[in-house]
Amino acid sequence: MLRIRGGKVFDPANGINGEIRDICIDGDRIVADVNGGKDIDATGMIVFPGGVDVHTHVAGGAINFARAMTPEDHRRTQAFMRSQSRRSGLGGMAPTTFATGYLYAGMGFTTVNEAAVPVLSARHTHEELNDVPIVDKSCLVLMANNEIMMNLMEAGDFERAKHVVAWYLNAAKAYGIKAVNPGGVAAWKWGKDAKELSSPIAGFNSLTPGDIIQQLSRIVDELKLPHPLHLHCNNLGAPGNISTTLETMKHLEGNRVHMAHLQYHAYGGDGWDTMCSESAQLAEYFNAHPHMTCDAGAVLFGDTVTITADGPWQHLLYKLTGRKWGNLDVENETGCGIVPYTYKPSNLVNAVQWAVGLELLLLINDPWRVFLTTDHPNGACFWRYPEIIQLLMSAEFRNECMAKLPAKIKSRITLPEINREYTLYEIATIISAGPARALGHRQKGNLGVGKDADVVIYNEDHDIARMFGHPRYVIKAGEIVIDDGDIRETPQGREFMVQPAFDPATEEFLQPLFEDCYTMSFENYPVELERIENPEVQECGKVSSDLEQS
Amino acid sequence: MYWGGNPAECHPRHFTKYALMPKSKFLPRGRKDRTMVLVDIRETKSVNASDIFLQVRPGKDFELITILRALLKEQHVGDAQIAETGLTRDVLVDLLERMKVAKFGAIFFGMGLSMTRGKHMNSAALLTLAAELNAFTKFVAMPMRGHGNVTGADVIMRWQTGYPFGISFNRGYSRYNPGEFSTVDVLVRGDTDCAFIIGADPGATMPQPAIDHLRRIPTIVLDPHVTHTSRLAKVHITTAPAGIAAPGTAYRMDEIPLPLRPAIDSPYPSDEQVIRRIRALIDQKPDWMSKSPQRVLSQV
Repeated sequence: MLRIRGGKVFDPANGINGEIRDICIDGDRIVADVNGGKDIDATGMIVFPGGVDVHTHVAGGAINFARAMTPEDHRRTQAFMRSQSRRSGLGGMAPTTFATGYLYAGMGFTTVNEAAVPVLSARHTHEELNDVPIVDKSCLVLMANNEIMMNLMEAGDFERAKHVVAWYLNAAKAYGIKAVNPGGVAAWKWGKDAKELSSPIAGFNSLTPGDIIQQLSRIVDELKLPHPLHLHCNNLGAPGNISTTLETMKHLEGNRVHMAHLQYHAYGGDGWDTMCSESAQLAEYFNAHPHMTCDAGAVLFGDTVTITADGPWQHLLYKLTGRKWGNLDVENETGCGIVPYTYKPSNLVNAVQWAVGLELLLLINDPWRVFLTTDHPNGACFWRYPEIIQLLMSAEFRNECMAKLPAKIKSRITLPEINREYTLYEIATIISAGPARALGHRQKGNLGVGKDADVVIYNEDHDIARMFGHPRYVIKAGEIVIDDGDIRETPQGREFMVQPAFDPATEEFLQPLFEDCYTMSFENYPVELERIENPEVQECGKVSSDLEQS
Repeated sequence: MYWGGNPAECHPRHFTKYALMPKSKFLPRGRKDRTMVLVDIRETKSVNASDIFLQVRPGKDFELITILRALLKEQHVGDAQIAETGLTRDVLVDLLERMKVAKFGAIFFGMGLSMTRGKHMNSAALLTLAAELNAFTKFVAMPMRGHGNVTGADVIMRWQTGYPFGISFNRGYSRYNPGEFSTVDVLVRGDTDCAFIIGADPGATMPQPAIDHLRRIPTIVLDPHVTHTSRLAKVHITTAPAGIAAPGTAYRMDEIPLPLRPAIDSPYPSDEQVIRRIRALIDQKPDWMSKSPQRVLSQV
């Protein structure tokens, strides 16, 4: 039993905005009151629900390839020595699994969502997630470039496609559906891309990216998955891609959708020389359409390694930078590219990207629909989130940073005209309550009675980045895991998944197709539940009504 | 395209299950829809499976790859330089034309490339050639690994430590330097006072000074068989063979994990069971590390 006494509590899910109150914990849940037990004096401190990362890449074939490609970064980065309570690890651009858990917990994040998993390597992803300590986890499975799915969608066999998706979710032990550059990754196997929403995809007669996103979003909604379709739009990163993004959003009217790393999809101009921000236009459309949520995918200056299923984009980035390039093609399902990258303030394109991420966070007016991410490690590493919080909470600090950018930037961005400063209540929304709700995690991002006892306690500090980077206490499932920068305990978190029902005939349909075009036997394909430590199956069909209320 | 490997004898399922024979939507006639090129220093059994065989002069792989890269970029290459590789200009120009118009090219490179003169520089050159071919068409390159679950060890070491091999934990966290921290180097220098060997037989393959050191120190071997290393070890523990009598996961060469299902029972424990039991016994001993080593104050 634990009582957190006298802290200033920010709990947006319950409308609590800086009230002084006690938070009581019994076991792994928050309770109304406790008698006895441990006492934390939080007088003068700030109390938040544990952070939730809606979109990150921390486990699986792609990030593990990135680890192999960047030994030079591991050498210079933060090392975690082994001790009695923890295993060793390395931080940096692509942290090792144990370090990933320590670094997330170390800044008060207690739930993470790995956003891109091919079914074929889901077994690998779960093995890595088992080695990410402390935090609770979930993962999304890639569906928008799966050849079997694409054939079904081209044939207009919607009902069967829906059952196949349900089967895939069960097989991969995943929590939701991710679509990356729909059709574009499949086209990349022909060395092509899919940039137009209404043009047929290479290798297909009539199927277009627009068809894929419409059908997948409908499937996700009809299966009543807790998290909507998680969409990485076509044409990522390209100047002028705002038209593609807006067209995508128009295709999705009537269905729920989560737009991932929107920063990379909000550019105007018609070439690298003329690239500019179109975040105002995008935010205006987004604000008017409440069926959508998004995450920022913000960029910070510095070194990182970019990893994405968007293979064609990564080939372009390799050609632009001349740096290392890794490419993976995952049979009939997807692919992935890896390129180390340095965002420089002196580079006009990078400066625009930096501004766009912040502009979206500041111009989208409902903090329940825009979440803090960097698309780790693409825009910046997740352990740099506190720097972004500082940029959001202080217009003065933003202006200082902007003064260091090239003068030419002014005509290309709208950031200088924005005076909004985030409040602590809004920060608690975009890093915890909002992403928890969007993911359909009813137990998370919420300090109400009966919810998971994931709590962060910060020392109030005028240095915002320091305050959010070094919480005084982090409590996960009722246990104090971080105490003044010390990793006290490294419990094994849970892993969330959904198991929607499907027609038993689906397997008979899939098996011959599978044996036709895969190099693995069908019975080796699904991940067994026993392979996952602390699995927790979430029911489908419960959370959507919550979302409608909000 | 296979380079410096003999899959017909070393990876017998590679042709049939993976790269050459399978029929698919876009290659409905299987083998007939593919062109197979073999590059090697001698005629192996794999030659029979190939459409084009290029016999490169031993030790000239790096030169050949570099010439291909130069020709691809339409740079001048002298006849004498080409002759040095044992091949002719016509053959190379024809090869590059075929590569450029292929729908999807894949190069599989074996230890005949990565472990001969030039070593990692050969691999780097070949990977660069594959990357540069993407200016014309889709091309990939992938190593053909040695026997056993080498890829699995690589993959797990990477997610746990950041590095695939050649790792030192002497400072309480992982550091990487092949040539310094690789097993053979550590043993030859005599820089270890105990060796724990699982599923490998260094006593059969390593240089004599390394073997001598293994004999000097307490060496413990876990293996289904009594190996050369077992004979010089202080302790040999027989374990059930993985995939035959013990379950687990193996990673394919393309890093796709496959579950292993034992076909028979074994009276012996699996490697995993033995290690867990040793670990449990070690846990009962007092830990020699401080509770929080990163906070150790000045020792003086």
